[in-house]
Amino acid sequence: MRKLYPYLLLIPTFVIIIMFIYYPAGSALKLSLYKTSPFGNRTIYVGLRNFRQLFEDPEYLYAVRFTLIYVSVSVAITIFMSFIIAYMLTRGVPGTRIYRTFLFAPYAVSPAIAGTLWTFLLNPVVGHVNYFFAKLFGIQVAWLTSKPYAFYALIFATVWKMLPFDMIFYIASIQDVSLDIIEASTLDGANTMTRVWRIIFPLVSPITFYLVIMNIVTTMFSSFAIVDVMTSGGPGGYTTNMIYKLYLDAFTFQKRGPAAAESMIMFAIMLVVTIIYFSFAERKVHYQ
Amino acid sequence: MKKLFVVFLLLALVATLSLAKVKIQFWHAMGGWRIDFLAQQAEKFNATHPDIEVQVQYTGSYRDTLNKLIVSVQAGAAPHVVQVFDVGTQIMVDGGIAVPVGDLMANDPTFDLGKFLPQVLSYYRVNGKLYSMPFNSSNAILYYNKTIFKEAGLDPDKPPRTFEEFKEAARTITKYYQGNVVGFGFNLHSWFFEQLMAAQSAPMCDNNNGRTGRPTKAVFNNEAGLKIFEWLNDMKKEGTMIETKVEDWTGARNLFISQKAAMLLSSTSDVALMMNASKENGFEFGTAFLPTPADAPAGGAVIGGGSLWIIGGHPDKEIQAAWEFVKFMADTEQQIEWHKATGYFPVRKDAVEQLLFSGYYAQYPDHLTALMQLMLSEQNYNARGAIIGAYPEIRTAVEQNLEKMFGGELTPAEALKRAEEAATRAIKEYNEVY
Repeated sequence: MRKLYPYLLLIPTFVIIIMFIYYPAGSALKLSLYKTSPFGNRTIYVGLRNFRQLFEDPEYLYAVRFTLIYVSVSVAITIFMSFIIAYMLTRGVPGTRIYRTFLFAPYAVSPAIAGTLWTFLLNPVVGHVNYFFAKLFGIQVAWLTSKPYAFYALIFATVWKMLPFDMIFYIASIQDVSLDIIEASTLDGANTMTRVWRIIFPLVSPITFYLVIMNIVTTMFSSFAIVDVMTSGGPGGYTTNMIYKLYLDAFTFQKRGPAAAESMIMFAIMLVVTIIYFSFAERKVHYQ
Repeated sequence: MKKLFVVFLLLALVATLSLAKVKIQFWHAMGGWRIDFLAQQAEKFNATHPDIEVQVQYTGSYRDTLNKLIVSVQAGAAPHVVQVFDVGTQIMVDGGIAVPVGDLMANDPTFDLGKFLPQVLSYYRVNGKLYSMPFNSSNAILYYNKTIFKEAGLDPDKPPRTFEEFKEAARTITKYYQGNVVGFGFNLHSWFFEQLMAAQSAPMCDNNNGRTGRPTKAVFNNEAGLKIFEWLNDMKKEGTMIETKVEDWTGARNLFISQKAAMLLSSTSDVALMMNASKENGFEFGTAFLPTPADAPAGGAVIGGGSLWIIGGHPDKEIQAAWEFVKFMADTEQQIEWHKATGYFPVRKDAVEQLLFSGYYAQYPDHLTALMQLMLSEQNYNARGAIIGAYPEIRTAVEQNLEKMFGGELTPAEALKRAEEAATRAIKEYNEVY
């Protein structure tokens, strides 16, 4: 009876997980082996042909490459900047609370709204950014419809959106670093740079590890809204990443089979990333 | 006593059952203030049809609505009436989920199909059958800013009619305003490519634009297609055109309304909106037919917009109620109100007659442009527009390659060729399951 009791308590959770995660995941796996008509009234079993076609499709391969670049660039910038800003915000500068509030604001904005906001600001003709650029440097840039600016705009908006989340975590963990260690390092003659990068940064590495994982997940899976609103994957497919390609195939072109195959590929990538990172992190990350 | 009570109860039950209203769901994709407008129309229907209750729901964009429909059909909870966009027609027919309105018409002696515009009917007829009821019909027209035309020294009553004149006008305006106003604001939407193809009587796909059989390949890589691509590319290179991102209707409208672009191609459904906006922003605008290359053969305007579909799998009584509602929405009075409020043109002859005789068009000539463009259209397969299951993907293919051309990566000829190849691939993939 005692052995059974904990399992009984777990049942509600499992019912929900199975209904909303495992069952749909299983269906997606099955769907990825079929070609179906939009209304599902015709289906043909095609085995792994959906996957094979994806890997032969230059557009899909481009989306994979673009995702890699987009994820690594935006995550690297976000981690770096949020750490620097968090460090500065823990120095006890007057007005820290106000800065913190302002910097945290983007986190409360939904991705779709953030995208809309940047679309307004970056509008080539009536946008504020171009207004100032035209006044100051006399140039006008088609931010969202030309290469490579669409990519810069996307990175900028993504970083702006993700930064506050990381920053809050860094502030908390930097404040957690024992003052003794800082004092000792100061007495030993360590300058600010050494102190930040050789002492504090390694000490907060568990948080960095967590944030990198979270950010990768965000940029891989939740970047749909920001891409859709800002660039719609354009110009010419230039900013189409994997999740946006999946959306196009599934909900615009009604190709559920290939779309399911794409979701399986994304699942596999995330699985590999997580496994590698965990086994690596278990050994390398410094836990206090 | 007890028996009497049971009998009474049974009677009450029968009475309520027979009095119960037939409830039908109506899903549509008309956002903004049009949500309220359609809700009012449904209210009016409910008031005049006491035994039917229509529940209206706005289900997001055309694409969202189609996706919701697909999911709801598979879940067995489909609505009775749903608005589907023009390019969804083949998908709907292939899905086999609709009750063709043609069948319902045949059984309804009160209904006269002869009152409808033949041009509209011929667009929605697939394999000789009318599957859905035309509701909000549009085509693309040219909007131009008369105030800017006047100031730049152009004749405000002579909008450009050919590609060449159009380019010249764009050049004059851009030069006059030193680039602060450009000649043309282009909504990067494949719909305009399709419309400009039809205006030159050129086909999009084989089998007579998919009208005499399922299309097997795209054929728009031809002289007419190249002329459109080159026309756009020339203006882009000269700096007399700004393009929006893909399918950005609002962005394109804003270019025109803020008077940053003097000409715009947009749907006639924007006429009412533009009339208000131009008044607010203090400029005068005019509308005209789509421009074509000077030497192009005469073509026509393709019907755009949406139509109302009745979804099967419901009890007969509900299907009949849905038919009543669809009939109501396509009726004279509703079509006139809808036309005045938006700019979608009426799909009925008697509605057009009434509007004409009441002097409405003398007062609002811009409401007449799209209708006249349609009336003066050639009636052939090419001018009628294509019907293809893979249309959504073809649109993306055209748009992506246009963008690459604007970015200078591809020449117009290369871009057109690639777009056609991608479109053919999409058609072949779609046909695999059928």
